[in-house]
Amino acid sequence: MNALTAIIAREGKIRATNLTFIFWDLFYPLGYLLVFGVGINASLGFATDPGVSYSAFFLAGVLSMASFGIASNTSWSFFLDRDNGIFYEMLTYPMSRPQYLLGKVLFNIGVATVQSAITITLAALLLGVPLRASGWPLLTAAVTIGTAGWFFFYALFALRIRRNDAFNTVTSIFYFIFLFASSMFYPLDPLPPALRVAAYANPITWQVDVIRYATIGMGDATQIALEAVAFLLFTAASFFAAIDALRNQE
Amino acid sequence: MPCDRPCSGKPGSRCYVSEMAIQVENLAKVFGRKRWATFRPGSGRPDIRAVDDLSFSVRRGEIFGLLGPNGAGKTTTLRILTTLVRPTAGTARVLGYDVVRHAVDVRTRIVVVIQEQAAELLLSVRDNLLTFARFHGLAGPDVRRRADHVLEILGLTPDAGRKPQDLSGGFRRRVQLAKVFMVDTPVIFLDEFSTGMDPILKRSVMELLRKEVANGRTIVLTTQVLTEAEELCDDILIIDHGKQVARGDLNTLKLLTEQVYEVALTFDRAPDNVDALVAGYHVVRRQIAQNTLLIALQESESRVLELVSTLAAQRRLLRLEINGASLEDIFIALTRKETAS
Repeated sequence: MNALTAIIAREGKIRATNLTFIFWDLFYPLGYLLVFGVGINASLGFATDPGVSYSAFFLAGVLSMASFGIASNTSWSFFLDRDNGIFYEMLTYPMSRPQYLLGKVLFNIGVATVQSAITITLAALLLGVPLRASGWPLLTAAVTIGTAGWFFFYALFALRIRRNDAFNTVTSIFYFIFLFASSMFYPLDPLPPALRVAAYANPITWQVDVIRYATIGMGDATQIALEAVAFLLFTAASFFAAIDALRNQE
Repeated sequence: MPCDRPCSGKPGSRCYVSEMAIQVENLAKVFGRKRWATFRPGSGRPDIRAVDDLSFSVRRGEIFGLLGPNGAGKTTTLRILTTLVRPTAGTARVLGYDVVRHAVDVRTRIVVVIQEQAAELLLSVRDNLLTFARFHGLAGPDVRRRADHVLEILGLTPDAGRKPQDLSGGFRRRVQLAKVFMVDTPVIFLDEFSTGMDPILKRSVMELLRKEVANGRTIVLTTQVLTEAEELCDDILIIDHGKQVARGDLNTLKLLTEQVYEVALTFDRAPDNVDALVAGYHVVRRQIAQNTLLIALQESESRVLELVSTLAAQRRLLRLEINGASLEDIFIALTRKETAS
């Protein structure tokens, strides 16, 4: 328990030293929703289902993007810690390797939860996105597991790749593939078959669809359940692979 | 060895009693080539055997020095003992806890100053210490008071609110070392701890380290500064190519390198032909500073006196000093012998 609270306290202190970190952590997705979502809604008059605005549709995408972004930024902090030397020193502190990763992910889940609450509340107040209280438990679970899954996935690469520039290249490619070949920005039905298959094989799609179902009730319950299970498996596999990568830090 | 006596740990936790602080048996570490390197030209390069069948133990409450030339395997050995690297073969135990099987138990009982600089650059100096202490389960007013005391003794009080990213390398090293005094872990590992320290601070840190040992803590250190080891260490292990070259306290090591003498001659003017004059002798080390010639040589007493007479005949000799070997001479003589064999 000491180790987990110590890691959370450490991460919190580091984030609190910099206003940019705080803005990025808490308000960046909201800005995306306000600028990109409102822009598309106003200029293209986009609506997916009758009575569903693009802002309401895009809310799930923004929340998933936030999980994805937090994971990417936090995994980059492995490089920062490695450059500062503190990474290796921390590996001699009284904690196990899984505790180290869990502490980091718990902090990120906390940030993602606050970020989601701010985004959803202001989306409802400013853009009139309907709130669906019955979906909140599922939404919380999706944000929590989503953040953990992407963090472990990114950590796997951050721990295996030693060069900062190589990692940046990988994350740029990931951003492009995962975000655009998914249901984050648009519904998948009108897509060409190959792109649709790629999108359905994409864990971001699984997370977005679950969150979309939780926020505005869009989607088929059976398919959503399958996607939720698939994402859980993705998270578990990423966790064990990340632990293995951390144990092999020499 | 596990025991059934009550111990100070948490209820139900494993309790180990060990006379020795460190026990290392047939330890080996081989760094293999990357798998992809197999398909590259020149991939016939062998694996690197950084530690090779090393065995030693360290008694509680002593300062143990691990010495060796660059690439000897000192840091790898230390990284195995501090659970950063897993051994390829053999065992290593800290206070009876196996570094692989009971890594967290080991980490709970050690504090490590790694060779590289390590600091939380974005946190203040004081927060660096408090954050570290929290990992050892220490928080609250007592810890804050202790942090203030540690900042004071290491001359960091004026910089307590500054971030290490704004400090010089030497000050960052102080922050790193300050953590040793924030906790009471029984074993301290120091990898080249004095790098970047000024001589005055180094002296006061060495004094502080001696006090920690007097209070029952054990220190394992590596260093390239042999005078430091000579002054601090109760017991020394010299390794090269991952293997033991020599082991013992300073006097024992001197016995291993009998007939190594250090001769200092000060002339009114340094002789011109020193190289020619010492050519027939087995010189370990030679240095000319102004009018003083410092030679360490491995020869019989009569040969040493013969060389001194020859040199004294060249110029007016103002001062002569003949000593037994220093740790540096011993180190050079032993590691040379090892390399030659």
